[in-house]
Order: sequence, then structure tokens, then C-alpha cells
Amino acid sequence: MSEEATSVDATLAEPKAAATRPQRLWDALDERLGLKGLQYPIPEHANKLAYSLGGLSLMTFVLMVATGIYLTQFYNPDPTVAHESVRRIITSVSFGKFVRGFHYWGAMAMIVLIGLHLIRVFVSGSFKRPREANWIFGVILAGVTATLFFTGTVLKWDQESLEALEHNIEIGKLLGRFGFWFSPTFGGVPLLTRLYVVHIAVLPFMFTLVVAIHLLLVKRLGMAPSPFRKGPEPEPTRPFTKHLAELGALALVLIGVLAILGVLAPPPHGAAPIEGIEITKPPWPMLWVYPIEDWVGVSGILWATLAIFLALFLVPFVDRSPERSPRKRLPMMIVAGLVVATVIALIIYAAVQPVASHIGMG
Amino acid sequence: MPRLGHHTFVRMVLAATTVLAVMVGLASPALAHEGEESVPAITDVQEAIAILAEHTGEFPKSEVVDHAADKVHDAMDSNDTRGVRLDLVKQADTALEAGRMGEAVTLLERSIGACPGAPVIEPENAPRTPPTLTSPCPSVPHLQALDRSPVGGAKEPILIALGAVLILAGLGLARRIR
Repeated sequence: MSEEATSVDATLAEPKAAATRPQRLWDALDERLGLKGLQYPIPEHANKLAYSLGGLSLMTFVLMVATGIYLTQFYNPDPTVAHESVRRIITSVSFGKFVRGFHYWGAMAMIVLIGLHLIRVFVSGSFKRPREANWIFGVILAGVTATLFFTGTVLKWDQESLEALEHNIEIGKLLGRFGFWFSPTFGGVPLLTRLYVVHIAVLPFMFTLVVAIHLLLVKRLGMAPSPFRKGPEPEPTRPFTKHLAELGALALVLIGVLAILGVLAPPPHGAAPIEGIEITKPPWPMLWVYPIEDWVGVSGILWATLAIFLALFLVPFVDRSPERSPRKRLPMMIVAGLVVATVIALIIYAAVQPVASHIGMG
Repeated sequence: MPRLGHHTFVRMVLAATTVLAVMVGLASPALAHEGEESVPAITDVQEAIAILAEHTGEFPKSEVVDHAADKVHDAMDSNDTRGVRLDLVKQADTALEAGRMGEAVTLLERSIGACPGAPVIEPENAPRTPPTLTSPCPSVPHLQALDRSPVGGAKEPILIALGAVLILAGLGLARRIR
């Protein structure tokens, strides 16, 4: 018998001091699951709301999976009946309209939370050496989330969905031989059905895999130091379990807000789609490419999206100084601020612009 | 060769600029319509539908109708009228002149073969042969989308109360943990 095993058995044999019932339960679970391993110290600043945005994004993803599983029980991805099945979810299924509303607002929350998390990491310089790879994985996660959002908007299969899919097919054509998957005739299965599989299986799997790597790297490299901390003394620490408990409390607030929005502002659903006309605009997270499409055609969507993600990927290779304070990285802050302001301005501009026809513009 | 005075030169430049501005000003309405005949009629009809369908409440009705009517006229003047029933477009023009926007939308949609409410199997290219009108087309249910109406019944206040309790509990817990 090894020395370690002897030690464990000796510990088991020791008489325990009087402990409360929850303490005994915790000890019993810890003995079997090693939960105390989660009590490793993390810097105090990690418990601020700004440093909880990534964790909240992950919680929103879990909520999306849970509500999504409910919706898949009633949704039919066959194009001839998809619209009708969404109508049925809204009008006939128990809690269908509420769960759909929760799922919709959860998706919006996830987009906003990931966007804010990305901005926080950028501003605080948390992507700097040795955390460049984790920034890249974060950008991949943002891309997967954007794709989840897009495929989700197509599944409801109303006029807006069809127009989104028609744009998707056009972009597939621009990709040449690499865009074969987006052809309506590929595989003998309708594109809507294939996008459904991507939405409920492929993308969630990718998200889970990449987020696992993302979290492992956070654990391995530790939390980045705060750029706003002054003084030579080391920052106080708190156990990671406290951070988890606080995240859980914030998740309750998030669930409450999403539940109320799901009831009071359920998402609209247009009637069956009609091909060959363009009378809708995309939802606001995708609206920033709409004016670009007005100016240069459908190809603008492809190039603008690629440009944004390429710029994000390049951030750690461009901003390489060890300085983390945003005040000492003013040029980067100004450029990033201009990009964010431009995206917001494009969204507002597109919101007030008349609807235009883009298919066939190239 | 006599040299031009400074004032003379400035006057000449001003005069030339004024003439140019007047010319451009007069020519711009003509330029704005240049090449419109080459736009396929189906595109003009789609744009007219979009204008009527999406902006009924945002701008004055007369402005919307004028804008859509321009597109309808462009469609009738187009060199490429494939896939469009011009007789229906003309009827839509008459409906627009009479201010009947809903009827105009339906007529325009039918003129390019779109039948609101009909199931769509897969998006394909816009039709290029004049659509047949064998069956009566329903009205415009796609414009009467299910809007943001709250969840009905007794579930609504319970769910809202539950949400409020979760928010308060979460805020309370977060404060206590800190």
C-alpha cells in the first residue's frame, strides 16, 4: 500500500470534531469530489462586476442550452412547416411563448455580455503576455456566439429569416468553392435543416470545447493584474469559491431580468416568408453591416465581418508593450473607441434608413 | 499680350463657378433618373413593396406614396420587365394615386408572383417568367405579424413576480457575499 493511501486511511480513522450539518455535507462531498481544490486564491479585483462579465456570459450560454432543449421538442426544421411550428410554440405549447421570449432575450444578453467582456479585457490590457492565446480563444468564442445568433434568427422562418438566409446564400456564392455548404442544393437536405443542426449541435459543441480551453488557460495563467491598482503592497486575495458564489447571485438577477423581459416583451414573429422581396432589416446586433451593404452590396457583409474579426485577432500582436494602464495606451484606446463608435453609429444610421434591396448587388 | 488684373481674374473665376453651379443644379434631376431604364422592373417593384410595407407609420403618407409611385413608374419604364405582370403594376399605380396603400402592396406582390401566406420551400432566384394568377391570393398576413403582446392568462403575474424575487434574491446574496 502506498504512503499516500495510508495517509488517506489514517485521516478517515481520525475522530472528527463536532461540525454543523452543512459543514459535514461539504466535507463529505469534498472528500469524494475534491471541491476544496476550487478554493484557490484569486485577486480581490476579480470579484468586481466588470470582471464577472465572462462568467455571466457562460451562465447565459447554459440558460440558452436549457431553454433551447425545451424549444427543440416542438420546433420542426422542415422549411415547409418550420414557420407553423414556431407559431404553435407561441400559441399552443405550455410556456412556449415565455421560453421562446427567454431564449430570445438571453441571446441578446449573451451578445451584450460578451461584447462588454471583450471591451473590459481590451481596456485593462488583460490580453497581454502571456495571455495572448487566451485572447484569441476569446475572439473565437465571440465568433461562435455571433454565428449562434445568426443561425437562431434564421430558424424562426419568417420574412426576416428568409431574407437573412438569402443573404447567407449570396455570401456562400462569393466564397466560391469554399461556400458549397451554403448552397440550397448541397447534401439533398434543405439548408434550413442543416443550419438547425449547426445551431443546436455543432456550435454549442464548439462553444463548450473552446470555453473549456479558455477557462483552463485562465486557471493556468491566473487572473491578469489590475492596471488600476496603485502602491507596492500585494493585492489581497479571496477564494475562487467566493467568486463562484457571487457569480451565482448575479446569475439569479440575470434570470429574473430575462424572465420579466420574456413575459413583457416577447419577440415578434412575422408570417410565412415570401421569396424574392426584401422588406425587413436584420436584428440590431447585425444591423451595423446594413449600411455597408447599401454602399457596396452583399459582399460588404463578408468583408466587414472579416475585417472586424481580423482586427480583433491582431490586437495582441499590435499592442505588445507590457503597459496595461489604458491611460498609457492612449493611441490604442482612441482607435478602439473609434471602431466601437463607428459600429454604434452604423447601427443607429441603419435603424433610421429605409429598407433597401441588396440581393444581386454583388 | 495684356496681363489680367487680379480683380478681373477673381470675377472670371466667380462667373465660371456660378455658371457651372447653375448647370449642375439644372442637370441633377435628369442625372438622378439616368440609367433607370436598365434596372430590372422586378427590382423596382420589390423596392416599392419595401417602401410601402416598412414605412407606413414613420413618414407622412404622401411622402411614402410619392416615393413608392416613383419606383412603380420606373418599373413600368424599365427595359427589363421579365417576371413582372405589368397589368398588375399599372393597377397598383392607380391604387397608389387613390391612396389605397394596402391594395397597392398586394397588387405589387402578386405582380412578381409572391403570394403572401403561401409556404416557401427554399429560397431560389426571383422568378423570371410572368407569374400565373390561377388561385386567389390571400390578403397580406405577413404584414400582420404576431407582435410583442405579453404572455396571457394567470401565468403572467406569477412569472413576473418570480423574476422580481430572483432579482432581489440575487442582489441580496451578492451584497452579503461581498
